[in-house]
Amino acid sequence: MDANNPILLMAGTQEHDLTRLDEYRAVGGYKALERARALEPQAVMDEISAATLRGRGGAGFPMGRKASLLAKGTGKPTYLVINADESEPGAFKDRDVLRMTPHRLIEGCLITAHGIGSKSVFIYIRGEYAHEFDVMRDALEDARTAGLLGGVTIVLHRGAGAYICGEETALLESLEGQRGQPRPRPPFPPVNGLYGAPTQINNVSTIALVPKIIELGAAEFSKIGVPSAPGTAVFSLSGNVAEPGNYERQLGTTLRELIYDVAGGIAGGRELKAVIPGGSSVPVLTPAEIDTPMDYDSIQAAGSFFGSAAIIVVDDRCCMVQLALRAEQFYMHESCGKCTPCRVGTRWLVQLLTKIEEGRGDRSDLDLLEGVCDRMLGKSLCALGDFAVYPVASYLEKYRGEFEAHVDGHGCPFGGASSIEGTFAPSDQHAPNLAETVHA
Amino acid sequence: MPDLVSLTVDDRVVQVPSNTGLVEAALAAGVEIPVFCYEPRLGAPIGACRMCLVEIEGIPKLQAGCTLTAIDGMVVRTAATSAKAADGQESTLEFILVNHPLDCPVCDKGGECPLQDLTFRYGPGRTRMTFPKVTFDKPIPVSPLIALDRERCILCYRCTRFSEEVAEDGLLIARNRGARSEIATFEDEPYRSVFSGNVIELCPVGALTSSMYRFDARPWEIQNVPTVCTGCATGCNVTATIREGKVKRILSRNHAEIDRGWLCDKGRFTYPHLLARDRITAPLQRGPKGLKEVSWDEALDAAEEMLREAEGAIVTALSGSETTEIAYALGRLLRGGVGAHSAVLPEATSDALEAFRLPLSAIAEAELVVVVGDDPVVERAPIVDLWLKEARRRGAEVVACSPTGTVQVAPGGSAAFCQGISAAGNELGQRLRNADRAVLVWSGPGGGGGARIAELAHELGFEEKPGCGAFHLPVTPNGRAVAAAWSASADADETRPETISVLVVSGEDAAADPGVRALAEQAERVIVVTMFHELVGGWADLILPATGALERDGTTMNLEGRLQRLRRAVAPPCPDELAWISKLAARFDVEISPHASAVFAELSEHLFQDLSMDEIGLRAALPSRTAYEAPAPAAQPASVPEHGATELRLQRYRALISGPAVERVRELEFQRPEREVEISAVDARQRGISSGDPVLVRSNGTSIELRARVNRRLVEGIARVAEEHAADLHAVVEVVKA
Repeated sequence: MDANNPILLMAGTQEHDLTRLDEYRAVGGYKALERARALEPQAVMDEISAATLRGRGGAGFPMGRKASLLAKGTGKPTYLVINADESEPGAFKDRDVLRMTPHRLIEGCLITAHGIGSKSVFIYIRGEYAHEFDVMRDALEDARTAGLLGGVTIVLHRGAGAYICGEETALLESLEGQRGQPRPRPPFPPVNGLYGAPTQINNVSTIALVPKIIELGAAEFSKIGVPSAPGTAVFSLSGNVAEPGNYERQLGTTLRELIYDVAGGIAGGRELKAVIPGGSSVPVLTPAEIDTPMDYDSIQAAGSFFGSAAIIVVDDRCCMVQLALRAEQFYMHESCGKCTPCRVGTRWLVQLLTKIEEGRGDRSDLDLLEGVCDRMLGKSLCALGDFAVYPVASYLEKYRGEFEAHVDGHGCPFGGASSIEGTFAPSDQHAPNLAETVHA
Repeated sequence: MPDLVSLTVDDRVVQVPSNTGLVEAALAAGVEIPVFCYEPRLGAPIGACRMCLVEIEGIPKLQAGCTLTAIDGMVVRTAATSAKAADGQESTLEFILVNHPLDCPVCDKGGECPLQDLTFRYGPGRTRMTFPKVTFDKPIPVSPLIALDRERCILCYRCTRFSEEVAEDGLLIARNRGARSEIATFEDEPYRSVFSGNVIELCPVGALTSSMYRFDARPWEIQNVPTVCTGCATGCNVTATIREGKVKRILSRNHAEIDRGWLCDKGRFTYPHLLARDRITAPLQRGPKGLKEVSWDEALDAAEEMLREAEGAIVTALSGSETTEIAYALGRLLRGGVGAHSAVLPEATSDALEAFRLPLSAIAEAELVVVVGDDPVVERAPIVDLWLKEARRRGAEVVACSPTGTVQVAPGGSAAFCQGISAAGNELGQRLRNADRAVLVWSGPGGGGGARIAELAHELGFEEKPGCGAFHLPVTPNGRAVAAAWSASADADETRPETISVLVVSGEDAAADPGVRALAEQAERVIVVTMFHELVGGWADLILPATGALERDGTTMNLEGRLQRLRRAVAPPCPDELAWISKLAARFDVEISPHASAVFAELSEHLFQDLSMDEIGLRAALPSRTAYEAPAPAAQPASVPEHGATELRLQRYRALISGPAVERVRELEFQRPEREVEISAVDARQRGISSGDPVLVRSNGTSIELRARVNRRLVEGIARVAEEHAADLHAVVEVVKA
């Protein structure tokens, strides 16, 4: 293993076809499971806790601490649920784990199931990940045939195309066959989760790191990354970079290194304008802030979030109002409609941004935009309500001049020359819905 | 005594039991946490509307108060003392009003609308929204009874939660997402549930409105009269809304022990029968040219003459829907005045049940409930069905022992089944004996009006267990007190006359009863007291106009044995029963007051230990249990009719949404029983019948065509048909493909 660039999650995927059980075993696969099963469950969880494995889904909550919150003695089964509903614009890290190293995820599930005493594992896979689902299904069948499951049932469940189902309680509702809408918390899933039973929910990349922790030992694992967040993450670099793609790097690697050294810098030699470090839902950073190391605490200190390690790079051709509008269209389309601020606020923001982008706004509309963001922030049932605000509020805060230029000049200063192409997906796929919903 | 926790709400310290919801805890401190979606009767809070945002010390973000429970030491600030919470609540209202049409001047809810009230108290006062609002097609008739305005809807999901978690019909749903989220019925089918009207009351805005009340009144020009529903024996507490002397709607009036604020559609929507086209408002007498309107003096002369000439050869058929006072006054007139002691009484309720008396709400607390009898509970006492559902949701085991139950008992077999339970070694009996909170329910005809389950309860030792009880669900609303009042009105034994000179029929239910019709054929003269012409026009000799329960003062006793007060909501279009009974009685030297309170005072002496009408109060209390007295033993069980291998036994059932009043409300038509016959899967297979097939149901010379419904839960050998479609069919029928 390259000490400067340790590869954990994707180890062996360059050289081997790890979707095949024999090849995964050839690189030492399922040895960690064997070792874990020889240990007492608590010893497995102690190792994970000692490694300070922080959740790779976005919030960075330590997995071991989450497991310690699982209710005991309820008379109900304990469930393990894997969140593979990767839907954040810009995020595609779990996709590679699913399609390139499915057995690592299965092994992680089985080790964790042993650790928390669970006999039932549910993997909730984003509906659009059809190929990934097939790969997982075949790998699971191979593992089952090889007798690796050891009495644990692993259920693959395909989502039906809703971003909100990546929110853990909405995911549980969907898994139960209900409408995919978040539940109020408390009670939290470790106490009252799937079917009212104690439930451990983790992201694909979190669980897929578990075999490596058992293999290397917590002490070794902790040497990788930064002390507050050991290990690696697969960073999804997209937008206007020369070489977009997934790159596994240690936590703590700076955005500058990731953009310029890893992904080849800005495409076409253009100027860097903005970086969205954790998927479309997190606050934007300016070029002045790209020396921030990409780990949970550093990025939060810089005013944004690690999120799903999805780094969207924006160059100087991009209109930030257009970008905000496009992001907000996404959140309006994906708002589940359960709670008031998100359901109503996202549509209102789309209307305001449309007006500003089309040059019909004035300065008071910018204040209103800020006001609506303020009123939405921190008032929704789940985090989506805040996610829908961060892009708009942070673009407005950091690129206010551009917004002002739109209203003062009665139009988009970028005109036809502006482009968000390559940054966010085009809006046509949501167009029919938008057209009937929004009149601005 | 539960643990108490102490918390501070807006600087007020209050102690509440632990696990108290924060909304209730704040209320205990005299502080309002405003809510829209929160409604504790609908199951776990969902935290959707965000109206209840409060600041909790130590938590940076505002919290939805409705989803929290009080914790010791918690410090809560609402809009009254926290600018942040005030901003949160103003924000929520601003967002809710962004798409709300603000058509308050033409909205039924205007003036009694929680959204209006909370906007006034917590809202921003002006809007910053200048864009087109979300629009929907409207109004959508979710059924002939309910109109849905999706633009007014604030998506609190109260209605869908009621459908899902209380009525458990699953018919109302939310569909689409985000700004296009909308309430709908499943597959856009009509919302056909006997509990549907409750969603109108649950709706905190004018999104779900009653199609009968729509645009008919404003809240500031109505009067609300608290009374009691007489649609069945449950005795749900209701409020009648009156405008210009007419009933405009019926609302529930939460009695926590009886109805918990729920009301069925029969109780809620039958009121238009008061204005039925064939309502009789003046006496009618049969002359040579048929029935003719006569003056009251002429009518009373005629009645007096008939009664005198009958010389006691009189039979009185009572409905069981009379007030206690009317039944008593009739008894004083007919028994005391003319010695007519013979009566056809409504289905009895056994006094032995008083030893096992419980409020209906105790069903929800039960661990084990056993329901026996031929009729589904929902057809006899729908709100009891909701209590059973709640019990099941809370973890109770509900064992239904009936022709369609989890334990299949053929019609007429319930009494024997009860004996089986009390036998030594019976597994169910043993569990009932062991339970601290167990309830028995008799839902069906026969069984001595609950006497058989009273015996069973006695065998199981229920008298000693305050959490255990037994209920009988009678088919008439006040049959028990009517029978008691009739009995108390004179001191003489019943002697059935050999020939009937005069048959007195009191009320629609008696008039519609086939047994009473048969008596009328034997009688020389028939006097009928009824509201509706079509029911009796062909066979009555003298018709005296009757009043409806909403037009009556008096008392009625529900299936728990609780005496409740009817209050006159509207004036009847004719003198009421007590008025003419009093006059007619005077002609036979019987003195009886025309005023319900005076009649009650007289009968109360005999029946209710001198209780006064005022003491009953707005929400009546349940009398305590009395010592067990063994009921009269079961008569020889009616012989089960013999039937050949190809024949089925006809089981008639009386559907909830049926009867003379219901038939006069066009909007309720879709809720009435289908023209169908239910048969078991085995019987269907033998006859090559599938659900939906037209079939002929035949017995001695009668043949009617009905649609078949294969009911997989129905016991074999039975053809189940609603009373109103069974016509003259005999007890044994053939069912063949048409």
